[in-house]
Amino acid sequence: MPKSKLKNDLILIGVILSLTLIIFAIYKLNQKDGTKVKVIIDSKEKYCYNFNNDTEVVIQSGKNNQFENVLVIENGEAFIKSANCPDKICVAHRKISKTGETIVCLPHKLVVEITNE
Amino acid sequence: MKKIISLLIILCLLFGFCGCKANSQKFTEYSFDYFDTVTTIVGFEQSEEDFKQNCEQIKAWLSEYHQLYDIYTLYDGVNNLCRINMSNGEAVTVEPEITQLLEYSKELYKTTNGKLNIAMGSVLSIWHDYREYGLKNPEKASVPNLQLLEKANKHTDISNIIIDKQKNTVKLDDSEIKLDVGGIAKGYAAEQIAKKMEYAGITGYILNIGGNVKIVGNRTDGEKWTVGIENPHTQDSENPYIETLKLDNSMSLVTSGSYQRFYTVGDVNYHHIINPDTLYPAKNFKSVSVLCEDSGLADALSTALFCMTYEDGKKIIETTDNVYVMWVLENGEKLYSEGFKKFITN
Repeated sequence: MPKSKLKNDLILIGVILSLTLIIFAIYKLNQKDGTKVKVIIDSKEKYCYNFNNDTEVVIQSGKNNQFENVLVIENGEAFIKSANCPDKICVAHRKISKTGETIVCLPHKLVVEITNE
Repeated sequence: MKKIISLLIILCLLFGFCGCKANSQKFTEYSFDYFDTVTTIVGFEQSEEDFKQNCEQIKAWLSEYHQLYDIYTLYDGVNNLCRINMSNGEAVTVEPEITQLLEYSKELYKTTNGKLNIAMGSVLSIWHDYREYGLKNPEKASVPNLQLLEKANKHTDISNIIIDKQKNTVKLDDSEIKLDVGGIAKGYAAEQIAKKMEYAGITGYILNIGGNVKIVGNRTDGEKWTVGIENPHTQDSENPYIETLKLDNSMSLVTSGSYQRFYTVGDVNYHHIINPDTLYPAKNFKSVSVLCEDSGLADALSTALFCMTYEDGKKIIETTDNVYVMWVLENGEKLYSEGFKKFITN
């Protein structure tokens, strides 16, 4: 086999390898950038926030919007700061940051979920 | 030859990064309509439409079991547990789903040395009422006194539940006895629904009824299911999961804990798992997780083991095959039964 052809093949392989790695890296980076905080009320997705933007929102639900949960997204963590539910389990819940983690408020039928979909 | 090698490399690279994910995607649905808790359905499907359609079927089954095992509400045309509790000693004709659950619960009463007692409704309803009142009126929250609980406890003899399997009837031989299946119904229903799902070809799913996790078939992307057990120390955000497990086809994992459902009197939390011997909330553990195939068994055992010492629990586990347990003590220390650790992944 002539040496120059082998060299070309090696270059081709090298190019393909680096291209694939670059594409994979972009894919991975995008995945991280795409992390979102979803708010699901009574089985329906109602709100979706970018995990990287710090914010504080009052989420109202129920009849006449009588239910309130205050959601805070701050420094890459999400938590419920306060709520007018009777058990306050959602307020006592740890701050969440990892994909798939949830905070549930049973009385208000509310789920806060970290997702990368 | 070189061309073939190059082509092979290209193919390997392409498939290496995107090939094995197949076409299926993970979907999640939450529902608050069943068993007074949150139900999570996770499934791998080709399209959201397929997933939604299967969820509708699963929710129809959930609704059916929820109505049958409901002790608080009557439904038109359904002879459920609430109806039996109101029967004043008359025999009630019921669906086989009820007689089967009650039979199984009686069997598990023996297995757990009486720690799982579905005849404890009279005692549990007192705690239920005090908790509901205490949550709504925190400043007036109080603890039921022992006298009141002991009086109710006179009507908790499980042998007074008379089941006639031929006629499909249930009769309570003590008119003040009340059924409460909170320690087993969710797991039992999850197990029955999982069987229906498999029969209908709905697999590659996880059904999670308020912490009763049942796996229905392998994931379609070939990966094993990963299930986290929540850290009972609910403030610890560094460690949301106290353990992460890799689980196979049809396994079930149920955790009973003192950290989710409780009310506060003064500065003491009173949780919902009542020890049949003391009639007060069980104090031994932060949580108990049971891993085995039958979700009904896992549910019943996690409730029962929560109410007994580690040593007594271990004895019961030794007599049942393929049941694995993790106990979490108040100080966060974890104790494992033999074989549990092989499921742990990091």
